[in-house]
Amino acid sequence: MKEYTYLPEVRQAFRCSVPNAGIRQVFMVDGLLQEPSGMENGWELMPGKDGKGLIMTVRGDHFSSPVQIISVRSENMPHPVEFTNEWILAPGARMQLIVCDHTIKEYLYRTIRNTIISLGDGAQLDILFMQNEHKESSYKLEVNASLGEEALLDCHIISLYGGTISNTVNAIMEKPGARCNLDGLYLADGTQSIEYNVDVKHLSGNCSSNQLFKGVLDNRARASFRGTILVAKDSQKTEAFQANHNLLLTKEAKITTKPQLEIYADDVKCSHGASIGRLDELGLFYLRSRGISLPEAQTLQQMAFVQDVLGKIKTDTIRERLEKMVESRLRGEFSKCSHCTMHCC
Amino acid sequence: MLKIIDLHARIGEKEILRGINLEINPGEVHAIMGPNGSGKSTLAAVLAGREMFTVTQGKVLYMGQDLLAMAPEERARMGVFLGFQYPVEIPGLSNVNFMKAAVNEHRKYKNLPALSAAEFLKLMREKMAIVGMDTSFGNRGVNVGFSGGEKKRNEIFQMAMLEPTLAFLDETDSGLDVDALRVVAQGVNKLKTKENSFVVITHYQRLLDYIVPDIVHVLYKGQIIKTSGKELALEVEENGYDHLISAL
Repeated sequence: MKEYTYLPEVRQAFRCSVPNAGIRQVFMVDGLLQEPSGMENGWELMPGKDGKGLIMTVRGDHFSSPVQIISVRSENMPHPVEFTNEWILAPGARMQLIVCDHTIKEYLYRTIRNTIISLGDGAQLDILFMQNEHKESSYKLEVNASLGEEALLDCHIISLYGGTISNTVNAIMEKPGARCNLDGLYLADGTQSIEYNVDVKHLSGNCSSNQLFKGVLDNRARASFRGTILVAKDSQKTEAFQANHNLLLTKEAKITTKPQLEIYADDVKCSHGASIGRLDELGLFYLRSRGISLPEAQTLQQMAFVQDVLGKIKTDTIRERLEKMVESRLRGEFSKCSHCTMHCC
Repeated sequence: MLKIIDLHARIGEKEILRGINLEINPGEVHAIMGPNGSGKSTLAAVLAGREMFTVTQGKVLYMGQDLLAMAPEERARMGVFLGFQYPVEIPGLSNVNFMKAAVNEHRKYKNLPALSAAEFLKLMREKMAIVGMDTSFGNRGVNVGFSGGEKKRNEIFQMAMLEPTLAFLDETDSGLDVDALRVVAQGVNKLKTKENSFVVITHYQRLLDYIVPDIVHVLYKGQIIKTSGKELALEVEENGYDHLISAL
């Protein structure tokens, strides 16, 4: 593939070592693909139909060589930008994607990122969205996924930083035996606001879905979670689970959570649950009684709280890197240099 | 080492400690016995710095310093340890990471460099061996899914890691079978030196067969009503607390 030469400073600014050297990186600036169209190793990349966004078609098994999409809002385009990325996996194809969103300056960026995922029968996609913008940005992600027979979708969303973040995930289990695992972690402080809407539709039997979403809110941050599981009339033997747990660090932080189940079949296993809590006083005392300072004990407890969401990320190198980023975010180290995205990758 | 003078403490409006006087010297093992609700656990919790209790009167000197003015973590770094009656479960935090944070805070306090990963694991293996803990417990969440006995072993393991000068063991024997009791007691005995002291809070003489106390106190309604040698524990075992209480 020809080396891309336009706007080299983006590559410079986002020298990314996640998850390991040599990972295939695809750059996008303001929703425009910065790579030539073409085939590579069994997958094909091209700009979207309207010239914005991208379409990636995958054949064969590429699970062990992830592709990282680095999508940056530049200073040349302060206007709102909307684009659509489309991932099409042929039957039996396997792929791992890391989608990282950044802003290059502290502008009032408005970005709408639509994502369409089509998984053929038996296809497997593991997709991780890293949302790391800054406190003035407004970011909207909408994922629409349809799953073929025995297809598997693992979708992780890590909302590290952003002024206003809105994530919508719609997954449709169209054929029997499809499975999807949707998880998300949102960390917000200051006056940030984060919204999650998750909608899983079981339109076929023998499918399973699992949702785990967790949030830690500090200062006057706001978040809302609305999750729906719909099991259609003939979707027997469905297994669908949903959990949303929240930790509020201050009295001013607020979360609205609304888990919903709509079940029209009679042979299913479904559950949903939501909780809102604060740091555990006895747990903090236990840690402090071992010599751990109060701020450190608070960080350890928050890290412990988010651990199971991070644990869903299967690739060790990516997960370990993310754990470090989440930890430094929880320690408040991000806000000090939110205009600089160098440290995060 | 520790001097408690006329200590009064309450939770909400309820006074639990009503004038405790106690002195502990280096190398001593004290046992505190007493009926349920007499204030044994409260005493240990107040000394470790649990904030839900309010000290209303009295003072506590530890190594000549005002213990009650210190935050729980400062007390711990100065060598005070509390073995919890009900060890706290922390899902998502591994025993290894918990102890690494604790040991390194202690080392920082003593102006020592943090241990390397290899040094830390070696230390951890050594100390786990003292209480017969399998090293697989290191990667498990703190106390999560541990049986009663495993939780108590974990307390003694933590004590071994932190090498306290003054350790309070709050009903470390409750919920233990005889074998686990022996292992825990042997762990304590291995850690005993001429410089450090233990305060064992227990309901039963059984533990004191293994950890032999120098001094036994009986606590009742927030006051120490009798202090004597180890024979006091036997007396309590045989006759209960009633005759001590009726003699008041």
